[in-house]
Amino acid sequence: MRGASELLVPVYFCVELSVVMTFSVGTASMRWFGFGFNAFGQICAQERLVKGDTSDGVGEVRVSVPTELHVDEGGGSVVETSQIRASWSRRASLRLGADSCVCMAGFSGVPAGAKTCGCRDAVVTESHLTLAFPDRVESWDLQSQDDTPSWSMEIIPQSQSSDVRLPLVPGGYIACKPPIFRSLSPHLQAKSLALGGDHAILLTATGAVYSWGLGSHGQLGHGGLSSEEEPRTVEALWGVPMSSVAAGGWHSVCVSDGGDLYVWGWNESGQLGLPSRSLRKATQQKSAQQADVGTSSEEELHDEVFISIQGFPALLDVEPSCEIRTVSCGSRHTAAVTATGSLYTWGWGEYGQLGHQTLNSSDEPRCVEFFGAENLLVVDVVCGPWNTFTAAVKKEVLELKNKSPE
Amino acid sequence: MASLWSKISAALPVNEEQFPLQFSDKVELSVLEMLKRSRQQLYSNTASASRALNAQIILDISWERLNTGTWRHVDKDWRRVYSYGCLFKVAALCGEKPSEDEILQAVRTCDMGLLVGAAIMDNILQAFVRILQSEMRSSAEEEDKSEHVEAKRRKIVSPHVPLIKEESAVPRIKCPSLESFNTNYLLPLKPVILEGIIDHWPALSNHLWSIEYLRSVAGCRTVPVEVGSRYTDEDWSQTLLTVNEFIDRYILDKVQVSENAEKALGYLAQHQLFDQIPELKEDICIPDYCCLGEGEEDDITVNAWFGPTGTVSPLHQDPQQNFLAQVVGSKYIRLYSPEDTDKLYPHQSQLLYNTSQVEVENPDAERFPEFVKAPYLECVLQPGDVLFIPVKHWHYVRSLEVSFSVSFWWS
Repeated sequence: MRGASELLVPVYFCVELSVVMTFSVGTASMRWFGFGFNAFGQICAQERLVKGDTSDGVGEVRVSVPTELHVDEGGGSVVETSQIRASWSRRASLRLGADSCVCMAGFSGVPAGAKTCGCRDAVVTESHLTLAFPDRVESWDLQSQDDTPSWSMEIIPQSQSSDVRLPLVPGGYIACKPPIFRSLSPHLQAKSLALGGDHAILLTATGAVYSWGLGSHGQLGHGGLSSEEEPRTVEALWGVPMSSVAAGGWHSVCVSDGGDLYVWGWNESGQLGLPSRSLRKATQQKSAQQADVGTSSEEELHDEVFISIQGFPALLDVEPSCEIRTVSCGSRHTAAVTATGSLYTWGWGEYGQLGHQTLNSSDEPRCVEFFGAENLLVVDVVCGPWNTFTAAVKKEVLELKNKSPE
Repeated sequence: MASLWSKISAALPVNEEQFPLQFSDKVELSVLEMLKRSRQQLYSNTASASRALNAQIILDISWERLNTGTWRHVDKDWRRVYSYGCLFKVAALCGEKPSEDEILQAVRTCDMGLLVGAAIMDNILQAFVRILQSEMRSSAEEEDKSEHVEAKRRKIVSPHVPLIKEESAVPRIKCPSLESFNTNYLLPLKPVILEGIIDHWPALSNHLWSIEYLRSVAGCRTVPVEVGSRYTDEDWSQTLLTVNEFIDRYILDKVQVSENAEKALGYLAQHQLFDQIPELKEDICIPDYCCLGEGEEDDITVNAWFGPTGTVSPLHQDPQQNFLAQVVGSKYIRLYSPEDTDKLYPHQSQLLYNTSQVEVENPDAERFPEFVKAPYLECVLQPGDVLFIPVKHWHYVRSLEVSFSVSFWWS
């Protein structure tokens, strides 16, 4: 058990921070951290890799302690990061503002022909880097040496600040697999779109949720396991306006305007935060192996109700009466930021992606203690498939802003 | 005696250059990079923890791809990547002096590659299993054999053995000539029990498929097991177990289950065990009568059916001719002609349209009034019997004791 003083911290901040957090956080004071899969140095450079020696470095492949990201733009100047996008082997750091650009870390850099200056949004997958500019969208094939984008479209710049929100583009969206561009009906009034392993979750301007794609693990939220060719409204959420959506490999989550979290899909690693039989069994087997007891000690798991597949959205209590601000999904894990600046993670943790300083998975939401202990408030979270990136600010910075006169 | 690692590495290409890693562009360069790192480690003095971790990364990423989309649409290259992951994991497990448990894990890893992956490098995982098994046998011979006593603790249950009426009995014939089988049974598509045609199988003579024998040949091998009474039931599921675990849990009933939980039946059913374990293949032969078909011998699907008393295959039909050879124990079988399909109430769903909704031995006469009017043939199949089930003939099968059958689907 940790000391009681730490437990008091969230209570103290609960009172004030709902107000505090409404202040916009300037990127100047924001620090980004990463944890989880780092085999390609996408979180931090692996010393042994740098030296050209792949002989060891087990600890550097799996980063289980949140580690601050250093974005080096060459010449030693550090770039302020406003947003992170991650694929399995890569991380794209997006700097917004006057001199916006994208920096890449991990398996490969920005394609030689691509100019990222002026870029407003980016998406990276294992095969493509998509960049959104005020007047165009470009998609670059990361597997080829071409010096032109593999796909692009012109955008008529609009007077309002209605920036492109990737993967949405005017008239449709950018998919992970070819064909890159897929059209979407304008009647949907898409506000944001989350692409999962093989499914899509769309949020409309009115807060309704639509889903389509593969439904084999309940990830569409229509109650069954069938796939849908076309966007279909998630009826169970009807009447509860949503503010954000996220999609993992085989699961989906969304946050209501009121800060409630809804989850559905596959719970194989506990990624829904609900009791997972397969996870408990795997954990049992592992501890049996370590204790060298053999498999005979395997006790049957009878008493609890386990969820393997959740076909309809289920309300998940992350912590009693706490509001969720932001949520993101990895392929088999989930991370959520509360209105009070705490980070909770659950699901698959074998690469350290839960940030609990272990390699354990968890089928219930658990607070990442690191940030509180470092006197940091988490303001944003973005998951890569096997890792997690968070933005945090010093508590004093926010407090100061709160007290400063208008 | 040569070390296990020297035997494993002897099965590998002599150097990195000759170790192939060729994939279509479906497998991204980043994944290829992981495969190359593992390959390099294979030929250098890398700590086994780092090798194991890289192998696990390859297994995890290919597992995710194999579970994306439907199984049929999964690119074969991703199944090959999975097999490479298994190869590297086995190498990591056997690199330093492996414990008994690590060797068992290595066998399990090979089996996962054989069951889930696709063949790579002349089926190198099959070669690994042979090496690992010979290693285990040489250490197992020193242990005493207390197995025989356990086998006798088998629970004696007397299953309900139906009385076969003479007029509905499947005809029996002893070693017919090819010509006479063709004319009298194959061409008119009439069921028949062939006697005496598999007596020469090692499985029925010098390699009798006793529990002890199956344990010794296949005990540590991982196989798919169906759990639940019938595949049409809600709570039916599939799981992976070693043959030893399956025997302990479902054949010998050794694992105690709490009082209120009803014991589920486990059935090693419809599995191409003989491709996975070539040693067992040597104990059986493809019946000569299969040459009357038009297909090649390689196209014949040979399945194993190994289970306890009371396993039930609901009334269903298959799209090929079938020889069902009974090796161990007995089974009650009911047959209906495809001409009477309209009386058998097949399921409506696309997945189960070849399966009848009727519980054959306890039919619901109100829901399925026509069923009782359908004529049928029946039999109790004994060890050494081979039942010819003509293409599309509906069949219902219930085991009357611990049973091992081999089916041959041919055309």
